[in-house]
Amino acid sequence: MSGPMVEARGVHKSYAGVEVLRGVDLTVVRGEVTCLIGPSGSGKSTLLRCINHLEKHDAGELRVDGELVGYEARGGKLYERNDKQICAERASIGMVFQRFNLFQHFTVLENITIGQVKVKGVDPEAAREKARELLTRVGLEQKEKAYPSQLSGGQQQRVAIARALAMEPKLMLFDEPTSALDPELVGEVLDVMKDLALSGMTMIVVTHEMNFAREVANTLYFLDGGIIEESGHPREILAAPKSERLQSFLSKVL
Amino acid sequence: MATNGDAVKVVPVRHYGQWIAAAVAMVLVAMLVHSIFSKLPTGQYACRVVSGVRKCHALSEWRFSWNVVGHYFTTSEILHGLVVTLELTVLAMLVGVVLGVTIAVMRLSTNRLLSSTAWTYTWFFRGTPVLVQLLVWYNIAILYPVISIGIPFTHIAFVHFNLRASGFTPFLAALVGLGLNEAAYMSEIARAGLIAVDEGQIEAATSLGMTRRQTLRLVVLPQAMRVIIPPTGNEVISMLKTTSLASVVGVIELLGAASNIYAANYLIMPLLITASLWYLVVTTVLSVGQFYLERHFAKGALRSPPLTPLQRLRRDLLGVLSKFYTRRASIEAVR
Repeated sequence: MSGPMVEARGVHKSYAGVEVLRGVDLTVVRGEVTCLIGPSGSGKSTLLRCINHLEKHDAGELRVDGELVGYEARGGKLYERNDKQICAERASIGMVFQRFNLFQHFTVLENITIGQVKVKGVDPEAAREKARELLTRVGLEQKEKAYPSQLSGGQQQRVAIARALAMEPKLMLFDEPTSALDPELVGEVLDVMKDLALSGMTMIVVTHEMNFAREVANTLYFLDGGIIEESGHPREILAAPKSERLQSFLSKVL
Repeated sequence: MATNGDAVKVVPVRHYGQWIAAAVAMVLVAMLVHSIFSKLPTGQYACRVVSGVRKCHALSEWRFSWNVVGHYFTTSEILHGLVVTLELTVLAMLVGVVLGVTIAVMRLSTNRLLSSTAWTYTWFFRGTPVLVQLLVWYNIAILYPVISIGIPFTHIAFVHFNLRASGFTPFLAALVGLGLNEAAYMSEIARAGLIAVDEGQIEAATSLGMTRRQTLRLVVLPQAMRVIIPPTGNEVISMLKTTSLASVVGVIELLGAASNIYAANYLIMPLLITASLWYLVVTTVLSVGQFYLERHFAKGALRSPPLTPLQRLRRDLLGVLSKFYTRRASIEAVR
């Protein structure tokens, strides 16, 4: 269990002839928080979705925990993994979405237990116990019987984080987790994420929250036009951006 | 607007046109109801020609022969026909729903061959009249006298079904005909429901590590149900009435039973009314069932589920009572 948690070398991805990722190199160290920033359409979300194989990358090498994503290298050939193997891969990577995507027909508690019970085969009672623990951790122990539509955006996102954590992931992916929230609700979600970072979770966060990136991230990547324009320690590159594109991007968002 | 806090009397807009239209409608409805329950001075007769001589006998003083309807309403022939109608409705809908959902899933598959097979199925079964389909299934033995299960394109067969030798009864023909036809319509309903589920729900399920089948069964279908149930309720009610077509291929269901009786005694109208009343009774029961089913599957989609009629009654009663009490309280306060 050594080496980086995520390693991308020359990752390419196109949709219908449009190249969204044009050779991305990225390294995510275990236990660290990596933030991805960049203008919309720069490929941040696509990169995230390639990492847990929601999208298939076209070329390049993408490894999570030392294993190739979606492929198995045997005897000099790459074998595409079958559905079962890919599902197992995904189950060990948590993902939090911009629009929460809580299961609308389940209560908060059921949202958090369903993956444990149906994917990992955890005993339902144990799953409920774990779900209650996680709800306490995100400050929503009162809401276990509520349906998602009865919660505020911030509360829904915290449930979504608890749902992902219930699978005991080795890596958490956040796809603009606060972009769909009212400004006054952003703080409660970021607080939960900070706690999570402090607990040593490996996290990749696509975000527009520069303060969060500056305070919490160990490494910051700036994507533009499908390539990494600049990367490094957040305080350094946010204070003194080298590339012109990052300078103009920061002048717009800060 | 009142500025000093005193209550100001509000005069609502009067809709005179609406009142007149309502009055006219009420008069027409009253006339219709009166005629339905009226008596004829001469009474109703039933006549038939027996060896060249027209013979009539008095039937009922009611225009609608209510006493005759009452007599036949619970006769064993009619009740037996009703049971067959219900059986046919339930079984054909079962075939329709199961096959329809399967076809909808096939239609949405990324595999071109599967989706075009599904499209062709719907095209064919929606494109020909259901009555024609029933007649074809009834006569299917002309095309396929024997059905065998074996190895395709060889003469090796393990089991034979002889369709000509009474194996394929009129009831089975009607069931297959109605069920397969229904599947075409149900597949479109199910497809609409499946499409209506947000893509994000599927992504969330996938990212938890659920397989495609788990995602469909645990996340997509339950949420699609909310969209699927109301039109499916319509389909059940529609199917209940469409089963009457089965009488054409010799199934003695409700209409078949009624027509068998009136073929013998010429009481055409009373028996058609009897059958219609039974259809209405079952339709009413089904509508009530549909309401509760919709309410169940609205779980999570609405902040508060629609009230049941009982709950609505209680709310209205409480509303009237509380209005009454607050008014009394305010009157006493004035005193």
